[in-house]
Amino acid sequence: MLKIKFIIALVTLIAAALLFISAVNNDGYGPYKPTPLAFKIPDGWPKPPTNIWAKNKLTEEGFQLGKKLFYDGNLSKDGQVSCASCHQQFAAFATYDHDLSHGVNNTLSTRNAPALLNLAWMTNMHWDGGVNHIEVQPLNPLTAENEMGETLDSILYKLKKDPSYPPMFKAAFGDPAITSQRMLKAIAQYTGTLISCNSKYDKVMRGEATFNPYEQNGYNVFKQKCTGCHKEPLFTDNSYRNNGMPLNRFNDIGRQKITGDPKDSLKFKVPTLRNVQLSFPYMHDGHIFSLYQVVEHYRTGIVTEQPTLDSSLKERITLSKKEKNDIVYFLYTLTDSSFIRDPRFGPPMYYVPGKLPDHVEPVRDRQ
Amino acid sequence: MNKFLLHKKMYGLFAMILFCMCSFSFAQPVKRGTLKVTFVQTANGKDIVLRDSVYTNPFGETYSVNKLKYYVSNFSVPGSAQVTENDPYHLVNASEESINSFEIQLAAGTYQNIEFLLGVDSARNCSGAQSGALDPMNDMFWTWNSGYVMFKMEGSSPASNADLQRIEHHIGGYKGPYNVITPIKLSTAAGHEIKISEGNSTELIIEMNLDHYWNNAAAIKISESPLCTTMGALSKKIASNFSGLFSIKEVK
Ligand code: HEC
Ligand code: HEC
Repeated sequence: MLKIKFIIALVTLIAAALLFISAVNNDGYGPYKPTPLAFKIPDGWPKPPTNIWAKNKLTEEGFQLGKKLFYDGNLSKDGQVSCASCHQQFAAFATYDHDLSHGVNNTLSTRNAPALLNLAWMTNMHWDGGVNHIEVQPLNPLTAENEMGETLDSILYKLKKDPSYPPMFKAAFGDPAITSQRMLKAIAQYTGTLISCNSKYDKVMRGEATFNPYEQNGYNVFKQKCTGCHKEPLFTDNSYRNNGMPLNRFNDIGRQKITGDPKDSLKFKVPTLRNVQLSFPYMHDGHIFSLYQVVEHYRTGIVTEQPTLDSSLKERITLSKKEKNDIVYFLYTLTDSSFIRDPRFGPPMYYVPGKLPDHVEPVRDRQ
Repeated sequence: MNKFLLHKKMYGLFAMILFCMCSFSFAQPVKRGTLKVTFVQTANGKDIVLRDSVYTNPFGETYSVNKLKYYVSNFSVPGSAQVTENDPYHLVNASEESINSFEIQLAAGTYQNIEFLLGVDSARNCSGAQSGALDPMNDMFWTWNSGYVMFKMEGSSPASNADLQRIEHHIGGYKGPYNVITPIKLSTAAGHEIKISEGNSTELIIEMNLDHYWNNAAAIKISESPLCTTMGALSKKIASNFSGLFSIKEVK
């Protein structure tokens, strides 16, 4: 009896030891070996409010899959509309020169497509903050009648039939199963790593460049009058405010639609101003076409009768003509040309499973 | 690493495992059995059959049901040393193809009380893309105002003044004043306790009676509220009836 017990104990011990040894070498990805990517927070920036990578391990393979999905028109009902058709890299992933964007079947969105950048720092998405996580965000455009108009069933069916996808899902997740969860996590790996941190403003902050006198004056004025909402370094404080826009033709009440609270009427998420030179037209419905007009809005255009108008804007913002021009010069320094040209974020090239395009370097080396 | 060091580490490990094993053999192993939990849907004392029968609510309004789905989550039997479920989220669907049963492992014993949530706990409403019962493919997720529809009923009624006399109730909301997640606590009748013995399976059948959906804490008339597809005051009012929906039908 004792002998048997001893043998059982010995066998268990050996098994446990083997397990221990393999656990030492285990990097958490299981038996497959994707290329881990580090998410590097630019110097001087705050930590993202939540770690969106905690349950979505960032890997090169996941990123590449997410990018392919982002650029794939097949995710839409008519095969024509990809995420990238409304979020164009050269416009900092807004829709260039469009107040509203085009969806399937000649439809139009009812809001302006925002620039997509530094999303990992965003607490909630969309102009009204209705989307509570970067992973579930794509569900909205994928299924909206006036965006991509597709059903999840049909999307997964198409992805399974396309021979290029199963190997990419395998590379990213360890087996070729294609599920909505994996698709959404992969897209988030792409959108969540669109980081813009290399504008002239950033270089000045890092001591690598200097503002000219107009920009410097604009920056000084900006810090006095605008950073209450457009907080550095992300140029948003992630809050919802009414900045005095009139109620538009879609009766878009903004945040109130989400919370049901009349106190939130006409409040919209404070947008980042990074790359704002490229993301025109402006505001949630794109009804302001130039940055001069935006600043003029704060000077003379604010609709002051609205009860929910932000208290800091009740008196509008006093600016001289020179200050107004200089603010715009300053806003131009937020343009990050390396971001909009970065091939890493550009359309995917032919993908060989297991092999990364040569020029692509893991994010950790770049930033 | 030098070989000797590795060995030293190993010895330590072996000793630890040996210790664990010894303490294991002294501990009394828990005797477990299975509780199979099944949800059935009824109205007017009949099982609900989709797109078939006509039912009458307490206000005399007749209606039929095309879709009936709801989440139950975090099922527990207090005091039962229950083995945590791998996936504690279950989508009950009144469609014929749906099974609507799941199994949990409990320690042997006799139990009177059960608890679960009608709905998906708030954490899972804001934790990104989910799988299983919570997969957005199940058409129970709001995409414009993230969060799960906790209870979905669609059908039609002559009392409805909506397009095509439809009824569309998508009840959800996980936070603040519009939280509809409802904890449900039920107890067995005397003499009908849940008895779990080792290796055996006991079945608990829970009835969801739609009659109480219309009239419990609040009176919900189809003529007044045929549609409710966003979270808000109406959704919350309808959800105030949730606590009366369930009862224990049978333990066998
Ligand atoms: C038809 C044009 C269109 C398509 C296609 C589209 N979007 Fe958008 N996107 C928009 C608009 C418009 C908004 C603003 C929506 C709102 O606020 O209600 C937006 C908002 C977003 C946001 C939130 C940004 C922020 O600052 O809150 C993200 C992220 C995003 N889109 C990613 C995607 C992804 C990923 C896809 C593809 C699955 C996609 N979009 C497809 C037009 C589009
Ligand atoms: C009270 C908070 C607040 C202050 C102060 C404020 N803004 Fe804004 N800003 C907002 C909000 C909210 C929006 C989005 C409003 C909308 O879309 O309806 C916005 C939008 C913008 C936009 C459009 C961005 C885009 O992508 O559409 C620009 C540009 C801008 N603000 C610049 C400024 C400047 C310059 C100042 C200082 C003169 C300033 N803001 C002060 C809250 C504020």
